[in-house]
Amino acid sequence: MSNSGWGKWGSWEETQALLGKIIGVSHGADAVEKGSIRRWLEAKEFDCPIHTDSSAAKDAGFPDIVAPATMAFTYGVGPYWKPGDPQQQLEDPAKQINIPAIFDVPAPCILSFATSVDVEFGAPLLLGDQLTNTSKLVGVTHKTMSVGKGAFLRQQDTYTNQRGETVAIVHMDIFRFVPHEDAPI
Amino acid sequence: MKDLLHQVYFEDVEVGTEVPPVSITLTLQRLVMEAGANRDLSLMHHDREAAIATGSPDAFANTFFIMGMIERTLREWMGSKGTLRKITSLRMTTFNCPGDVLSFGAKVIALEPDNIVRLEVWAESKKGKTVTAEASLRLPSTV
Repeated sequence: MSNSGWGKWGSWEETQALLGKIIGVSHGADAVEKGSIRRWLEAKEFDCPIHTDSSAAKDAGFPDIVAPATMAFTYGVGPYWKPGDPQQQLEDPAKQINIPAIFDVPAPCILSFATSVDVEFGAPLLLGDQLTNTSKLVGVTHKTMSVGKGAFLRQQDTYTNQRGETVAIVHMDIFRFVPHEDAPI
Repeated sequence: MKDLLHQVYFEDVEVGTEVPPVSITLTLQRLVMEAGANRDLSLMHHDREAAIATGSPDAFANTFFIMGMIERTLREWMGSKGTLRKITSLRMTTFNCPGDVLSFGAKVIALEPDNIVRLEVWAESKKGKTVTAEASLRLPSTV
């Protein structure tokens, strides 16, 4: 069995060694702006004027258009490619979402999915804001599920803007696992 | 565009108040659109073969989408001047896949100091409840 591109391969001892530590920091690829807000609303058929109309946002007490609070996650994702990165080849594994912890923590697993999420929102997302996501591994719980055997990795992501304000704190459980048919006997 | 004058105030709400449901059809096109918009391009959210390898019957909606739909449901109810404070205990009990029609709903379960309203939130489809969560809002006051 080897790393198939669904997360960094390693032993459970290596996973445990990172418990309580900052796993990494990601800088959002894009600042908050109208185009990305519109595309995000479009996919959800979400019509709310504080996200699209400056005067409506001001009437609601904001300085200008605000992005939906749950867009903090989107604005914390780093680029999938940036200048200087190598060109992707057909034989390369698929690129994973560019946020730390989920795939950067070594574990003897080849697949993963998110299970439980808690989020507390803070400062609003204003046009021009640039987010940074600082991730910490705060829990490792081994478990066997219907899809396979592995562990829940609990991460704490703190999203801050360029003014140092916290816009969201997320606690997320990710189940990293090996499917039953692939599990070592 | 939604009615700008619509606004729910803390005094309008009591335990048991129900939020009008918001439904949305899931298609592979929507999942692709959503992945591009929310930047979670993990294969299982738009590639059937990759999704099936994870144990899902098909590509499935990601957490970012579910959170966004919860925000939409609560925002459309409360109006422009409320604030989404928390979404907690978010769990997806099964995969939400193309062909599903998701209906998001919520019900007030507690009123707290500082005009905070706590709600039970869910999404359901022909499969039953597929998402459960709690949310916390701060609503404006009339006093």
